[in-house]
This record gives sequence, C-alpha cells and structure tokens, in this order.
Amino acid sequence: MLDSAERREFLAGCRDVAPLIVGLLPFGLVAGVAAVSAGMTPVEGMALSILSFSGIAQLVVCQLVAVDSPVAVTVAAAAVVGLRLVMYSAALAPHVAHLDRRWRALIAYFLTDQGFAMAVARFAAPGERAARHWYYLGTAAALWASWQLAVLAGIAAGARVPPEWSLDFAVVLTFIALLVPVVRTRADLAAALVAGGVALAAAGMPYRLALVVASIAGIAAGLVLERGRTR
Amino acid sequence: MKIWIVILAVSAVTFLLRASFLLFADPHRFPHAFRQALLYVPPAVLAAFVAPGLLMPDGVLDFTFANARWLAGLAALAVATRVRHPVATIAVGLPLLWLIQWAIR
Repeated sequence: MLDSAERREFLAGCRDVAPLIVGLLPFGLVAGVAAVSAGMTPVEGMALSILSFSGIAQLVVCQLVAVDSPVAVTVAAAAVVGLRLVMYSAALAPHVAHLDRRWRALIAYFLTDQGFAMAVARFAAPGERAARHWYYLGTAAALWASWQLAVLAGIAAGARVPPEWSLDFAVVLTFIALLVPVVRTRADLAAALVAGGVALAAAGMPYRLALVVASIAGIAAGLVLERGRTR
Repeated sequence: MKIWIVILAVSAVTFLLRASFLLFADPHRFPHAFRQALLYVPPAVLAAFVAPGLLMPDGVLDFTFANARWLAGLAALAVATRVRHPVATIAVGLPLLWLIQWAIR
C-alpha cells in the first residue's frame, strides 16, 4: 500500500498536470490521424503509441512511413528528434539516483516534454523530498492515459477530421505554452531566438536535421551570453 | 512486417535515449559545462519547433497575411506571457486561427 505522503504526491501530480493534458489531447488526435493517413492499421498505430509514447517520434515515423523510407532512415530520424530526451534524462537523473533500477526504468519510459517540465519544478521545490517520485508518477500516469485515449480517438476518426480544423496548430500552441515559462533570462531568450531563427534557415535539411542543428545553435547562444555576463 | 520492425526499433531507441542518464550514466559526474548547457535545452528545442510551425506552414517561409498561423501564434504568445495557463493559449490561439482563416478566405 502507498503511505499517505506517496498518495498525496501522486494525486497532486495528476491534478497539476491537468492543464497540460488539455493541450495534449489535440496533439494525440493529430498523431492518431497521422498513423491512419500513413497507412498503418489501428493495431500498428496503437502499438507505436504505447511502445514509443512520444508524440514527436510518432509523427516523424508516420511522415517517413507514408513515403516508405528505409527502416534505418526512419529510426535515425526518430533518434535525432529524441535527442532532447537525453538532456531531460541527464537533468532528472540526480533527483532520482537514490531509487532502484526498476523505478528509474519506469521513470525513463514515462519521460516526456510535459512530464519533465512538471518534474523539474517539483523536484526543485523546498520541503520533504522522500516521495517526490510519486508526484512524477502521478503526472506520468495522467499524461499516459489521456495520450493513449486521444491517439485512439484520432485513429478511430481517421481521415474524417477535416484539414480546415487545423488541429496540428494545437501542437504548436502547446509548445508556445511550454516555451514561455522557460524563457526567464536574457540568455534563455537568446537560446530561443537563435534556435528559432536557425530552424527557419535550415529547414531545407533532410530528415528533420534542422531541429537538431537549431537546438545546438540555441544552446550555444545561451552559453555565450551567460559567459559574457559573468565576465 | 517492415512496419513492425520500424515500430519496435523506434520504440527501443526512444527508450534508450530516455534511459541514457537515468539508468546508464553516473549523474554525479556530469561536467559543469554540460550542466550549464542543459539549462538552455528547453528554450532552444521548443523554439526550434515553434518557429517553423508559425512561419512555414507549407514548408516555405511565409510572412504574409495569407499565413494565418504567425498572426494567431503572435496573439497566443502574448496570452502565454500574461496567463501562465496552457489552456488559455490554446483557447485563444486555435479559434483565432479559424477566424483569420475564415476572414481571409
């Protein structure tokens, strides 16, 4: 049984993540529709969603499966867009180093942009820390269940969602809502502006490499500006 | 058959990326520069998604008023800086996009 602190953390996680879930639902619908449009069966679409549990990876796979690109290229592209997960993994690891491997594997499987944003805020908060991983699990469980339901709905709706609804724009809006709170300093702003600019300039690069090039350029810009200030 | 290989391989790679530091590396031995770089990952990666999403709806740069996305996105950005609630950003941005698309049709 969970003790009361663990249950409290779990439920707080479920509750606090609710606003992010509203943004996630259209994203999940888009991913479901994309799977059907790429020619996947409902079982294949759901298997991809449950096993990978990554909206961006799912969208990339759908785009590349639709044009029948080679397996190696598809996997490489998914790895490239997943690179930010390595950074999240590194940022989260010190907070959960005391947990056993099974727990850390579970935390790894559930790692997402939204879950990471919530977890970083909670792990850094003052107060009793022993049950913080249950907060993470609460956000993760709520995100996971609503994501899978949204993808399922998207698969069921299939090609019947009219393009005029521009549901994919909800994905961009979700990222705007995640972006604004993490831009706190001038160095953050430089990272965002440079990454955005490079993403536009490098958009012609194949297999979504622009995303990685732009991210690295933005990180470099943030570091340069930070160094200039402390000197 | 090929699709299942793709599904399994992509899922395995995604898990390994997530597990990299959580399971396989010692988090207490990160170099300082790496920690500093981590601070700028979220603003950089998120902006790298947002900018093309607003300004390249069809894969080419479109700064004209025929592109409703950057107009609606700018308004959503303004909302997001004032109201720290993702629902507000979507509740303003998506209907505004529909409105602009309807108006310029």
